[in-house]
Amino acid sequence: MKGPSSKDSLDISVANYEDVILARQKARELMQSMGFSLLAQTRMVTAVSELARNMVVHAGRGQMSVNSVEKLNQKGIECIFQDKGPGIQNIDQALRQGFSTSNSLGLGLGGAKKLCAEFDIQTTVGKGTRVTIREWKTR
Amino acid sequence: MNNIQSNAARILQNNKAEILDQWHQQLILNTKSLVESIGLNVMKQRTEEFLDTLIDALTQDDDFEGDSYDNARNLMTDISRQMTLSSLTPSEVTLFVFSLRDIIFPLFQTNMDAGQLAAHYSLVNSLIDRLGVFTFTVYQESREELMREQQQAFMEVSVPVVRIWDRIIMIPLVGMLDSSRTQQMMETMLTALEDYQSKVAIMDISGIPVVDTLVARHLITAASAARLMGAECIITGIRARISQTLVQLGVDLSGFITRTTLADGLQLALKMTDQKIG
Ligand SMILES: Nc1ncnc2c1ncn2[C@@H]1O[C@H](COP(=O)(O)OP(=O)(O)OP(=O)(O)O)[C@@H](O)[C@H]1O
Ligand SMILES: [Mg+2]
Repeated sequence: MKGPSSKDSLDISVANYEDVILARQKARELMQSMGFSLLAQTRMVTAVSELARNMVVHAGRGQMSVNSVEKLNQKGIECIFQDKGPGIQNIDQALRQGFSTSNSLGLGLGGAKKLCAEFDIQTTVGKGTRVTIREWKTR
Repeated sequence: MNNIQSNAARILQNNKAEILDQWHQQLILNTKSLVESIGLNVMKQRTEEFLDTLIDALTQDDDFEGDSYDNARNLMTDISRQMTLSSLTPSEVTLFVFSLRDIIFPLFQTNMDAGQLAAHYSLVNSLIDRLGVFTFTVYQESREELMREQQQAFMEVSVPVVRIWDRIIMIPLVGMLDSSRTQQMMETMLTALEDYQSKVAIMDISGIPVVDTLVARHLITAASAARLMGAECIITGIRARISQTLVQLGVDLSGFITRTTLADGLQLALKMTDQKIG
């Protein structure tokens, strides 16, 4: 099942709030098994919650993949959120605190960025959005 | 091989009454809750059926995974599910099957030569081991299923409001705080504030697994509604790692009263309503 060279990878399709809960659970499970601190888990899982929910709210649905990754003998978790929604016109604006097109707090996207060690967003209007976040284990 | 199986089957058949009698005694002793929940008669019926299918299967010279054991497996599936519903502990569940071993072995001893014993022991041993594992697997699966159902049901029950002190109510929030549950929570809270003439509502969020901007928004909405009714909200159960996360998210709860623990929240609520414990 879990060979030394193969990495854990998991795909979840996210279309509603139940799926968001499942997405959070999967991310938490992997982090637990990797021995991440409770604080790191809380931050990452909260970010997952925001980004998964954004796919449901703003794109209707999307795909999340959870992977364990490695760099220079550091272990980490990576979550990729990919949707085929409307995309984001102005990323800087969307990342700003308080900006929302859904009459919400507008803190999710920018908050997720602050919560994770690495945050990358790629979006094409009319095509979709792809957000990648990573957190590394401190030793 | 065939010889051993049919011989074992014969001995079990000839001593059925005795085996069942001893098995029942064991079960009454060790799995009380199962006996209580399905009744002694039903249990006797099931154990007898089970022993019959086992004897029957033994004479077929088949593997436990084979067709001859269909009946035995089906029956055991039923019984395991029942054990789940009766909230039996894992050790009780394993005892159910394993107690058979201690009953059958002495029987073999009195009914055959010492030379034959080893082969019979090993046959029954492996059969009972596999039965035990099978029972336990079904038990675990149905327990997980039950837990999922309960979780589902728990999400659907109305949000409880506890009147913990004179003029103080407490709402323990658990699980996922989605829009419909928030709506429900707010209605219950506002009604309770009015009914109990309460001045303070404590919302305890220690049971909420992930406090993200959606949960925060719902909390803020509820707290603001309480304020409109002239009551104050205290949000408790904000652990260190959650408050850190909220700050990073940019959620501002500074306009609201927050406390780390429910106890701190209650103490403050008592002060706000000019009350003292005792
Ligand atoms: N996957 C996405 N597809 C399209 N637009 C998005 C996506 N994610 C975010 N956006 C846009 O970026 C804006 C900011 O997102 P952000 O998560 O910060 O706020 P929000 O979702 O509106 O509110 P909340 O604070 O409840 O999360 C959104 O209002 C939306 O316009
Ligand atoms: Mg959002």
